[in-house]
Amino acid sequence: MKKRTEGFGPVEYALFTAVTLAVLLLCICVGSVMLPLKETVAVLWNALTGADNEAYALAANILLPVRLPRVLCVALVGACLSLCGAAMQGLLKNPLADGTTLGVSSGASLGAVLAIAFGFSLPGFPLGGTMVLAISFAFVSLLLILSLAYRLDSSLSTNTIILIGVIFSMFASSISSLVITFAGDKVKTITFWTMGSLQGSSYENALLLLGALTLFGGILLWHARELNAFAVGEDNARSIGVDVRRVKLTVLIAISVLIGVCVSVSGTIGFVGLVTPHMLRSITGPNHRRLLPAALFGGACFLLLSDLLARTLLGPRELPLGVITSFVGSLVFIYIFCKARTR
Amino acid sequence: MKKFMPYVLCLLVALLLLGCSGKTEEPKEEPTAQAPEETVETNEAGNSHTTISVTDMSGREITLTEPVTRIVALTASDCEILYALGAGDALVGRGEYCDWPKEVTEVPSVQSGADTNIEQIIALNPQVLLMSTMAQTEEQIAALENAGIRVVVSDAQDIEGVYEAISLIGALMGRSTEAEALVSEMQSTFTEIQSASGDSKTVYFEVSPLEYGLWAAGSNTFMDEIAQMLHLTNIFADVSGWGEVSEEQVIQRAPDYIVTIAMYFGEGPTPEEEIASRSGWENIPAIQEGRILNLQNNELSRPGPRLAEGAQMLFDFVYGEDAV
Repeated sequence: MKKRTEGFGPVEYALFTAVTLAVLLLCICVGSVMLPLKETVAVLWNALTGADNEAYALAANILLPVRLPRVLCVALVGACLSLCGAAMQGLLKNPLADGTTLGVSSGASLGAVLAIAFGFSLPGFPLGGTMVLAISFAFVSLLLILSLAYRLDSSLSTNTIILIGVIFSMFASSISSLVITFAGDKVKTITFWTMGSLQGSSYENALLLLGALTLFGGILLWHARELNAFAVGEDNARSIGVDVRRVKLTVLIAISVLIGVCVSVSGTIGFVGLVTPHMLRSITGPNHRRLLPAALFGGACFLLLSDLLARTLLGPRELPLGVITSFVGSLVFIYIFCKARTR
Repeated sequence: MKKFMPYVLCLLVALLLLGCSGKTEEPKEEPTAQAPEETVETNEAGNSHTTISVTDMSGREITLTEPVTRIVALTASDCEILYALGAGDALVGRGEYCDWPKEVTEVPSVQSGADTNIEQIIALNPQVLLMSTMAQTEEQIAALENAGIRVVVSDAQDIEGVYEAISLIGALMGRSTEAEALVSEMQSTFTEIQSASGDSKTVYFEVSPLEYGLWAAGSNTFMDEIAQMLHLTNIFADVSGWGEVSEEQVIQRAPDYIVTIAMYFGEGPTPEEEIASRSGWENIPAIQEGRILNLQNNELSRPGPRLAEGAQMLFDFVYGEDAV
């Protein structure tokens, strides 16, 4: 076997990209409505070359405006959540950390719930209001958590952040529940929304996710070396010259934006950020320069396959995506955990 | 800080004791022995000695000595039935989601489902509590019965069940004549539109809009039953009850009519506009012909007397106002 470089080599990138693309194609070809493979390929080819799709009107109407944007959004949300989880677990040196631990997910959810309950909307954007409020609440939650943590403990130690994050998470959820209790008629829509769904995803959603992932995901990947230092310990990171507070702030802000965007597009989908990094760590090892890129692709594949099950398992019905991710995720997790222990 | 701790502790203990005593006193205020006595008294005071004996929809026998004058109803449909029978005045408490007719919202709410405020119901001192199956736990029902409140279950699963619920409530309230009239009125509306319905087209009932995950009404729903009456085929007849369905399936099944029960809150596109603007839906016949109906007030989702109204609205929408 070739000597392993520290980072993610071009071969590995090519391999992971190929696997992700294969899963992506599978998810485009298989769906609730079975379309012949020939038609699928023809429609995609025609769309790419700009040709007319008149011969396959039904397939074109299902594939291009419905299935393709959804599959893209699923892949991007999976990548974002999993990357955030991996970065978070390294930064906070805690295997249970992910977006929900910091309270950012609950903050974003609260924003979205408020937007739905009070009918806050931006003219021209049907989902704009929810999105803007979710992202800004994710931001505000982070600011609150960090400033509180800073007041209590100016070194921003990990335990303080996790403690305040968990408490804030409960606080935000309780306000969400309160809003839902008083929302009356709108309670139905909010309940459906909190279950998490990627139905009705659009290309604009996918573009937004892609933009956020490129920018803030890039920041996270850029800080992989610092995360390695954090994973050993904060004191260690400080002693080898990492600007602990600045890195922590940057990483936390990047995570909160990514999670805010994901929540506004898909609602809350649990378990992806927690489980996929653990699964991948058994393949790539704990080095973040290898783990983070792997988490990106692995998260995409995991959520794509979960969504495929959610879409196809029960015929014309759809299952909530969170049900599948939690169910499959916990089983796979236990399997990996036991295998790693007995080895 | 330490100096104050004993005082704070004392205060806490005192508060705790107060809280406990409050709780233990409540059952004493509603002694089980007193409640039956009261009913005997009213029985003697009332001049009619005809007893009312009904079997509720969970098969329990209920015997009352006189028509009910104070009642609490937990489900929205039961409230609607009470008002339709002209017995709305007897309603002293309602479930959280009862919203029709408008007067019902002035009646105090006792919450719904798991949050139902049993203490408040007991305090309202009704003779009967109307609820659906399994709305409360056995213990809660026992507590109500101990307080002298009869629990009557009304739980319509189909239109036959709605008729049954109407006659049950009519009997309880001493308004059987009105109940019979209401049922036969509903029946005649249904027969009329059924006989006037012609060609078989397909319909799609949307319960939750795409933005929050697409939910449709399948078979074994009131919407499906009314659709069959109008000779319409529900495209999701293979789904039982309400369920989240795939957008792709709607496009493939291409319904001739779309009925949405989404609420409109006055901002943004109306539910009809939102459905018409979905990408990929352009070739669905209902969208091309603009045949989208928005029923906003639970006409077709609630097992009450307004089902006939909803059926009529759907009929007018499909076959035109002049068909009957």
